[in-house]
Amino acid sequence: METKLIDYTKFSLKPAEEIHEIVDRVENIFILSCAKCYQLFEREAGEDYFTLLGLLGEDTKKIAGHAQIDFLCNNILSEKAISSLDLSGCSAVGVISCGLGIQFVAHLLEGKPVYAMADSVPQSANSTSGIGYHGISLEQEKCAACGQCYLNATGGICPMIDCAKGLLNGPCGGARDGKCEVDPSLDCAWVKIYERIGNRGEQLTLGDTRIHDYSKPALQLKNDLSTLNNKLRNEGFYGGLHPLEEKQQTEHLAIEKFPEPEEVVIFLSQHTGKKASPMVQPGDYVRVGQKIAGADGFISASIHSSVSGKVVSIEERIHPVLQRRELAVVIENDRENSLDSHCKPNSDFKKLSVKSLLDIVRESGIVGLGGAMFPTQVKLAPPKKVDTLLVNGCECEPFLNGDNRIMIERPQDIIIGIGLLKKILGVNRTIIGVENNKADAITSFKGVLKNSAVELLRLNTKYPQGAEKMLIKKILGREVPSGGLPFDVGVIVSNVGTILAVYDAVVQGIPLYKRVITVSGEDMSRPGNYLVKIGTPLKEIIQYCFDGDIEDIFTKYDLKMGGPMMGIIQTSLDSSVIKGTSGLTLLKRSPVQLSEDNDCIKCGRCVDVCPMELHPHYYAFYGKKAELGRADDYNVMDCIECRSCEYICSAKLPLMSFIKREKEYARSTVKN
Amino acid sequence: MLVVQLKTEDELRLKIADNKVFIIECLGCQDVYFPNKEVDEYIRSLEKQVIARVRLDYLCNRDYASAYIKAYDKQIQKAQIVLVISCGVGMQVISSLLDHKIVYTCCDTLYLNGFQGLSAQPFDCYQCGECYLNYTGGVCPLTNCPKELINGPCGGARDGKCEVNPDADCAWAVIYERLYKLNKLDIVKKILKPRDHSRIISQSLSRERIKR
Repeated sequence: METKLIDYTKFSLKPAEEIHEIVDRVENIFILSCAKCYQLFEREAGEDYFTLLGLLGEDTKKIAGHAQIDFLCNNILSEKAISSLDLSGCSAVGVISCGLGIQFVAHLLEGKPVYAMADSVPQSANSTSGIGYHGISLEQEKCAACGQCYLNATGGICPMIDCAKGLLNGPCGGARDGKCEVDPSLDCAWVKIYERIGNRGEQLTLGDTRIHDYSKPALQLKNDLSTLNNKLRNEGFYGGLHPLEEKQQTEHLAIEKFPEPEEVVIFLSQHTGKKASPMVQPGDYVRVGQKIAGADGFISASIHSSVSGKVVSIEERIHPVLQRRELAVVIENDRENSLDSHCKPNSDFKKLSVKSLLDIVRESGIVGLGGAMFPTQVKLAPPKKVDTLLVNGCECEPFLNGDNRIMIERPQDIIIGIGLLKKILGVNRTIIGVENNKADAITSFKGVLKNSAVELLRLNTKYPQGAEKMLIKKILGREVPSGGLPFDVGVIVSNVGTILAVYDAVVQGIPLYKRVITVSGEDMSRPGNYLVKIGTPLKEIIQYCFDGDIEDIFTKYDLKMGGPMMGIIQTSLDSSVIKGTSGLTLLKRSPVQLSEDNDCIKCGRCVDVCPMELHPHYYAFYGKKAELGRADDYNVMDCIECRSCEYICSAKLPLMSFIKREKEYARSTVKN
Repeated sequence: MLVVQLKTEDELRLKIADNKVFIIECLGCQDVYFPNKEVDEYIRSLEKQVIARVRLDYLCNRDYASAYIKAYDKQIQKAQIVLVISCGVGMQVISSLLDHKIVYTCCDTLYLNGFQGLSAQPFDCYQCGECYLNYTGGVCPLTNCPKELINGPCGGARDGKCEVNPDADCAWAVIYERLYKLNKLDIVKKILKPRDHSRIISQSLSRERIKR
């Protein structure tokens, strides 16, 4: 694209004499430099430090060390980065950054002289006006942020910025041939305004005189908003965001049984770990709840039939999560629903030993239903002692309401399930975390929690609060170490859906062959929370819930398995519901699609929202250069794939695909 | 950080009257701060006047904005007024792209401490182009002192509090304490030259324009 972008870098090195003055004054100096923002991301290292070395000549020996920090003004991340540096040997610190970074470092290192080695550069990029804040992208338009927008009266041309004199009530009269008298290379703003308004068939109203109110925006308001913002941003854990919740579509719809499918397609890989090995052959008759594939190895899970009928084939279909062909057992539904003889309720479940409980969980093929699909029996037998069970009822993903509904409709069963988990884990403390946008769920829990030792916590909404590492940090303030798991900090996190599956397996004797999913989204004709049989083809769900042309599903919409944030775009309606399916969400395709060709402009939004405190812009940087392996320097393996960075990316880079590629590469190199 | 406030309903009613509107809402920086509830209420109050309401992001990017306008062209044609809910930058971009259409904004824009894009900071930079932080122990006299004094306090402070805004500390009291701790009080004795206000314009001119 031939668009001209503006380099909005916020600082430049101070003049040579001032730098010499500073360096002469100190014994030795440690240099901290900011990696800059709002410019095309073309180089890793800022050139300012090298310019500084060139300027200093002989004096370079006074430099005690150097560190480059990304977005130095990001006080939370920079504080961590700076505290890991050894600054004890230096008598002063020089900062190459804009005023924000310098003030922050001076505040942080109170007691050590901090010197500004750079001057800020005004943002306006305007030859006649010093004011103006640019937007996120590197375009020409600027906003004076005056708190009293005039654009409605001026056809969308800002008189504060575009007029050299900032006139609000018409031109000064000095313009020649439509050109500004202050800078004749520019058009007179008021001529432009007059023309624009004329084009629109409006009348320029100059009658009521406008006087600029310089007390706006009120300092207090600005400070309050800044504080509020900082608070929201860092509540509980760093980063995260607040996407539109869109839960109203299905939050009040009771769970409904989805009609019997014609056939079911049950994938052999529905969990983290090795895929299950099939125990049936085409032509076999199977019953509901009958085990059709057995766990293969320690981290694996068994799979059960969700219908009764004849096994038609074991063939490859497009897997909804992996998006490649995987083996699946296809069973024709005879609609008899005849139950396997093993599926019997157990009223004596309270007497079961921990071992037999774990056996039931294993035999029932239970996996984490929050989406991670980690085999539950492995999770429930942690190698370290745990002291707390966190019950995850956050469901922070927009659109989805499955967990919300089961909390509303089956709180009693969940509490019994929690009791079973407590017994297995031997923990005393249990906390249920529910986001405060689920008032009904909270009320229903309160009703059954009287005189119970289980604690219920209302959490302010923030995405991705439902990710277990975030939840632990928010509720318990414990930080899972890099590469670690929750049990490393003495915690097990379990989703409410999984707990209900444990209840169903132990008390009702039903293995995991059905689950609640939320079908919703834009233009979905029959949205709802459906209890579906695992293996129900997406085609049947779409036919039942969507009245539009099915052809449109892959042209005008994105069909995501899961919610809009973490959901996986589907490419085939032959895929089916698996154990980890939390919902199906239909989203209108945006006119602007993500593209790997876009350029990162270092707006810093991804660093700002990443809850794992990573630097996603580097993944795109190395990914675009195809330098695989470099992203590992930036802890790509710690990424929890919450997609916050991709959602917020102002350059619309497919960050998630870069990350997945990097992770794949990192895994393959570890193996070799 | 550019954030918005909704204009008063009276002001908007005067502009919109009973015309049909197409509403473009920007979600770009919304995550920072946005009066979501007020906007929803306002749009609900327009009822039948609304042809459609679309929620998009980063209107400030001209490429995206053109693609959006192209995609929603038919609906935009039906409306007499395009209403933009975004900061002043987004509004100006949309307005310049829809040269022959009436475009109004619903918002007044203000900015948060710290620059756009990076999350709100406790510090603010004036971008004066001649950093004073070396003389003030790293506390900015321009953003922290309402009178923007660079050569010491005005003398109006009471108990270390600013006379303009008694909730805030006097910037120069903070500077004095910081320098006292550093044992560098001699720095404040130096009288600085008056500010060169022309730097704001001359330096910002030097920005490179880069071709993509």
